[in-house]
Amino acid sequence: MSEDLSQLFVKIESIDYYLPKKIETIETLIKENPDWSIDEIKKKTGVHNRFISATNETALDLGSKAADKLFLKNDIRSEINALIFVTQSPDFVLPTSACIAQEKLGLSKSCMSFDVNQGCSGFIYGLAISSSLISAGLAKKVLLICADTYTKYIEKHDRTCRPIFSDGAAATLISKSKNSNIGPFELGTDGKGAMNLIVENSGARSSDKKDDFQKKKLFMNGSKVFMFSMNEVPKCVENLLIKSKKKISDIDLFVFHQASKVVMDNIIRRLNIPAGKVFCNYTDVGNTVSASIPIALKDAENKGIFKNNKLVMMVGFGVGYSWGATLMKWGGK
Amino acid sequence: MTLKINNEDIYLLIEEALQLAPKKININSKMLEIEEWDSFGHLEILVALDKKFNGKIASIDEMGSATTVKDIIKLLTLNKLI
Repeated sequence: MSEDLSQLFVKIESIDYYLPKKIETIETLIKENPDWSIDEIKKKTGVHNRFISATNETALDLGSKAADKLFLKNDIRSEINALIFVTQSPDFVLPTSACIAQEKLGLSKSCMSFDVNQGCSGFIYGLAISSSLISAGLAKKVLLICADTYTKYIEKHDRTCRPIFSDGAAATLISKSKNSNIGPFELGTDGKGAMNLIVENSGARSSDKKDDFQKKKLFMNGSKVFMFSMNEVPKCVENLLIKSKKKISDIDLFVFHQASKVVMDNIIRRLNIPAGKVFCNYTDVGNTVSASIPIALKDAENKGIFKNNKLVMMVGFGVGYSWGATLMKWGGK
Repeated sequence: MTLKINNEDIYLLIEEALQLAPKKININSKMLEIEEWDSFGHLEILVALDKKFNGKIASIDEMGSATTVKDIIKLLTLNKLI
């Protein structure tokens, strides 16, 4: 019997995450960079601890560990028919991390598996794709893994990137729902900012100099990216509110990509959101790129902040430039 | 709407954003020539400008790379903010 697709809703069934064992505190950074000011870095970034992957530990490893944790509580791996691996630090240019993870995690051969190359908007993009796959009847249960190890691309003395970025992975199980739903979505791109947050020499368009090929270095034009965030993210939130016929007062909790304190503070200021409605965990976790929103969702759940039927707005933004936002009722059946 | 703000007001705004003593900033001041005007200080200036001009600074993309007082004033003038 065919399903009535108009009645198909999707929900986040569960989330788990994994962070590398090594923690780098702000004090460590100062020891290695005595000219940096601890107070200034704390004040601007708000990040006190970051997680650093081991030399031989990749986003694929972190993502697999996050999924393993998820399966420990509910081993439904045989039921998963789509695996989406969001990463910008894959083990290889090819094959995809998703294909390797499918085998590593013991997922069915009938499980479609593909990577999504997105950064800080990646979780929202992953949710949009998952939602579309389920609504179209192409999948019933989607495993969305968001994992990155940006710290491997960061130089020791890079004051713009090193105090912020952290390694980590989250695994999110998305499935059909009777009464809960994720959406609508607001997604956008402005490729004009592509060169403002980039890992140079990381793909086919590499430097002519052969030696440079190995120098995969993260570059961020902090002030340009900051201006993008201040300008585009509030517009994205406002567009989603219009699309969903909601007001800021209707939203119970906002979970933004955990970029850094200065970015979050100014987005909140520009949108005039009461501080109590915004969940932040960047102080202890850092900016884990696409994994930051699901990690924050899990932390909020662990802290008892979510109650059933709370309306949550999730907003991701960053490299590309790329952005996305969506709404979700927490804890639907 | 253009605010009644002159160059002196902008100098003062930058001094306050960077927590400098008065009269430290003038039309020739530049990022990195003043110790406090580093990349973090630059974000403070952008936030202070955005607050002063009621959120109109964030949409001026070039402001992110305006690293001299002359450039900042030029962009504010071009965008009819002063």
